[in-house]
Amino acid sequence: MTGMARHAGIASRNPFPGVSPSGLRIEPVPLMPSVERKFRIAANDFVNAGEVSIEVQGMLKKIGFPPALTRRVSISAYEAEMNVVMHGGDGEMALLIDPDEIVLECSDNGPGIEDVELALTPGYSTAKPEHQEMGFGAGMGLPNIKKNATELVVESGKGLGTHLTMRFEVKA
Amino acid sequence: MTTGEPAARGLPVHYVEVDEDLCNGCVLCMKACPMKAIRIRDGVARIEGVCIDCMECARVCPRGAIRGVSTAEVELEDHLEKAVCPTSVLYSQFGEDFLPNDILLGLRKMGFRYPFDQSYTTEIYGFAMELYIRELRKTKNPPFPLISAVCPAVIQIIASRFPSLLKHIPPLATPRELVVREARSRLSEKHGCPPEDIDVLHIVPCPAIMIREAESGNRDRVVGIGSIYDRLKKAIQEIDDDRVLHYSGGLGLSWGISGGEIAGLNAKSIAVSGVHETIRYLERVEMGLLSHIEFLECRICTEGCLGGPFTVADRYQTKQIVQKYVRMYGVERRIKQNYVMKLYKEGWFHAEREILPIRSENIDCTVHERIERQKRVESILRMLPGQHCGMCGSPDCRTFAEDVVAGKADLTSCTHLKQRLKNGAILES
Repeated sequence: MTGMARHAGIASRNPFPGVSPSGLRIEPVPLMPSVERKFRIAANDFVNAGEVSIEVQGMLKKIGFPPALTRRVSISAYEAEMNVVMHGGDGEMALLIDPDEIVLECSDNGPGIEDVELALTPGYSTAKPEHQEMGFGAGMGLPNIKKNATELVVESGKGLGTHLTMRFEVKA
Repeated sequence: MTTGEPAARGLPVHYVEVDEDLCNGCVLCMKACPMKAIRIRDGVARIEGVCIDCMECARVCPRGAIRGVSTAEVELEDHLEKAVCPTSVLYSQFGEDFLPNDILLGLRKMGFRYPFDQSYTTEIYGFAMELYIRELRKTKNPPFPLISAVCPAVIQIIASRFPSLLKHIPPLATPRELVVREARSRLSEKHGCPPEDIDVLHIVPCPAIMIREAESGNRDRVVGIGSIYDRLKKAIQEIDDDRVLHYSGGLGLSWGISGGEIAGLNAKSIAVSGVHETIRYLERVEMGLLSHIEFLECRICTEGCLGGPFTVADRYQTKQIVQKYVRMYGVERRIKQNYVMKLYKEGWFHAEREILPIRSENIDCTVHERIERQKRVESILRMLPGQHCGMCGSPDCRTFAEDVVAGKADLTSCTHLKQRLKNGAILES
């Protein structure tokens, strides 16, 4: 799965469908409710690293998903966020909540991943020594996401940035 | 007044009070509240959400309109015959010249016949905690990190915002509960009455301890250090007694400082103080990021209980005094370890009460409905200016949007939105 093949994901939809162009009218809520939020992630900002995943976690808790699912989603968000902070340059995380599915999309404009298969191998790491000193970059980021998410799609290529799509099924 | 009123809604009773005559409805307390429990209604601050008695609001209030409440606004004469259990924070409040024993003797001089030293119990408790951790290490999937149950405000945060972490709270009674239990059993033996009939007066550094006492259902009275300070100081200077009431080593005395609890603990542990840092760490624990730590000490007040709202002396100066005590009394345990092990095996340390989660407001609706609500919150949020000015009466724009969706606030109370409406935009909804 190398090369850049961004599909029409969350980004292409109207981000705030309930709001009219004047910005003041709330339209009737559609039958299948869903919430979307976007967060910015700054490169090398270790002070605020983790804030996005905490926001994601808070959102899911507010809605009242089971703790185990909340933890799986937030830990995946955390790993993805840390990847962006360490390697990715600036990026963005989008969260979409449906009653039966939670989707996280994390994209960045960093150096990209040359060999996705290799990056998904547990223990394989390209982290800098200073990151490893801080306790990150043990090569468990992507494998951990893969373990926690129902489905993980990595779209990346050298010099093309990275786009992760993580899906989590909500079991009734 | 606000005290006690919300119990019917499933909210915990709190012991913070707003003086409506002094409050001028500025937004400082509302902004400072870590639980987003304060709203400004009709020009006065009101506590509407889950209050954990952290007193952040009182610390920022420029008019002194917010106060902690303690039950015994001291008719001390009524309590003289009772057991008195001072916090070890009390020992550091009177400067370097007075040692813990002097302060206990001072309490006697004031007329309290039975002062019970808590610092010795904390040492015993510390060892029991170590035994419990050792026991857990042998089990599969232990609930690490354990979270200290000593700070009652932390317990309230966990019960309301992190109910999934309740299993991380060790099922041991806190040192304060243990010392009270001990005082009751000793005095009931002495006076030949049932233990429930023994009244206990707690001298405490914060109003949060009241919550636990109120829930315990016994008749204990709680008084802040500040309320008895002057009389105790006078009494200490007049001591004419030389008996020994204080037995602990330095570690038992250091529990007032952040890190004091873990100082004597033989386990991988971290100490966190301050309400925002505590919440930050609990979030991390909930994400499973700290499972390599065995014990997490959290204190709501910065620098630990020495920074409690009822204390008198400055927290940094008292910290230095406590550190001096530690050097003076040494760090070795003064307890009989075999005896404590025996007590532990007999279940002496076991907590009598289980900590229950605090019910959240929209527990009754389905996930569908809650997602729908959240969606409305997001769309309202789009219309708001995002300046978090607080003029609407809610602490920030997101909370305001949530209040609107919950029917607690009116969209038009946002002054920015009102301005835009005046300028010609039409609101249909």
